[in-house]
This record gives sequence, structure tokens and C-alpha cells, in this order.
Amino acid sequence: MALTITCPICGKRNGYEFRYGGEDKGPRPEEAGLTPEAWCDYVHMNKCVAGVQKEWWFHKDGCGSWFTIHRDTTTNLEVKGPEADK
Amino acid sequence: MVDIKRVSPVSFGKSPKRTEVRDNWTIAMEYDSEGQGLSIVDLSHVTRLDVQTGDLSGVTPFGVAIPEVPGQSVLKDGILINRMNGIQASVFQLPGNGADLPTDVFVTETTENTLCVAIMGKDVFSFMEKVSNLDFMDPKMTAPFLFQGPCCHVPCQIITLSKDGDKAGLILTCSRGYGKDMIHSLLDAGVEFNMKPAGEEKFSAWVASL
Repeated sequence: MALTITCPICGKRNGYEFRYGGEDKGPRPEEAGLTPEAWCDYVHMNKCVAGVQKEWWFHKDGCGSWFTIHRDTTTNLEVKGPEADK
Repeated sequence: MVDIKRVSPVSFGKSPKRTEVRDNWTIAMEYDSEGQGLSIVDLSHVTRLDVQTGDLSGVTPFGVAIPEVPGQSVLKDGILINRMNGIQASVFQLPGNGADLPTDVFVTETTENTLCVAIMGKDVFSFMEKVSNLDFMDPKMTAPFLFQGPCCHVPCQIITLSKDGDKAGLILTCSRGYGKDMIHSLLDAGVEFNMKPAGEEKFSAWVASL
């Protein structure tokens, strides 16, 4: 399937130029009071959304940036994210 | 004391007509029958710097300001500066500019880490369509500009210096280790465009004409 990804620096490019960096899980949890179970969940558990999810990508063949996009996992197409993410 | 010898990762499989030794590099100045088609010039000896710091706004390598927007380049007095991202720029000291290198701690010389070639001629973008899926003819991109992306599936920095007819041309760099295979691929793809190796003199004349 053809996937294009919009890098914030280089613009829209072929998906093969990028490396997937996983779901965006929000900021790293505070260490104070963090249980091993909660840390394990943060590191290993994914939501595996069937629909639009926010995810990290790395432009490995280009500018070397890490950034997030929204992608519809059912169509494998990048979609516009909510205004709050801009 | 033995002088060091610097060896370019680029080999065209053809001996130049005239060479010059400069800063321990043996530089091809001219080839026989450089021709009227595409020219490919080994620029691996050209001094290249990486500038990386949190605030590039006041940084002026060789007295030239770094462009503000990633992807933009500037060519002035033989200094080519390409903005790579928010914190990084690449700098080329083209032949003829003999200024001393900056001594700032955020400047790293990368000359010997990469190969560098220039490709010039009116068919250069038809040629690039064979080896890269980057859109060099994007009307929004005005020369000089930087692309960071694959050429022959190898991550490269490609700086388009001119998109104008006979003066069209670009500079391409990638990691040194890809040298042999990259040049083999470029020369093979360039056969239909009559690509020929050319010397540094042809490159310098081209840059002066821009």
C-alpha cells in the first residue's frame, strides 16, 4: 500500500523514507510513585486503534526529524489532526 | 615525516587530462572530451562543515548568514550554506574561496566523511527522475534549495543551484562508504544523457556563471 507522510521540514514524502516510532502515548509518567506495572503498561501496552491514531515517525532518509502525525489505520492514509495538536 | 594523502571515494574509471594537488588531495582539473551532455564533477575535496547549535540566528560561517527556513540555501562568494533543520546547517567552501575555517565549537568538519559530486547540464532533472523520487521541478522551490532524501535509495543532501536550462545543476553528497556503488549507479543512469566526467575547472566556470 502506498503511504505518504508529511514531514514538518521536508513536506510530503514517500512512506519508505520514514521509520515508524509507535503510538503517541503522551508524556513520560512522573517517576514519583510510579509502579512497575504502570511503567510496563506505558512502555509495552498499545491501544491498537482501528481508526485515526496519533503516532510518531522518524525521517530516517531525510532530515532526521522525529514528529507526530495522525493516520487512519484502516485506510493507511495520513489524516488531518485536531486543531489542538497544531 | 610522511605527508598524508587524501583519497576521494569517487572514481570515474577514467584518468583526468590534468590534475592538481591541493591540501593533500589529488584533484581532477580537466578531462578529455568533457562533452556537451551532462557533466559529473568530483568535489569530494571541497571543504564541508556541519554547524549545529540551539540558536543559529546569529551564526555566520565565513561571514554569510544561515537561511532561516529549513530547505533554503544561500550561495555567496563561494560559500554555500544549507539550512537542514531548526538547529543544523551544512556549509560548503567551494573552490576559489580560501578563507580560514571557523573555530567555533559548534562547527564540525565533515569533508572526509562524505562524497560530493556536482551534476550539471540541461537534462539534469530528467536524469534525477531516474535515480530519485524527489520533485526537483516543484515550482514552489526556487534555487538554490536543499533536499534531504534518497537518491539511488541512499540518504543524500542534494542542493539544486540552478533550474535554468543549460545552467541547470546540483550538488549531491552522501556517506563516503556508498562512493563506489553510488558513482556506478549515477554513471549507468547517465548513459542515455551522455554523462561524462568533468574537472573542477568546468564546475568553477559553471558556478561563476550563476
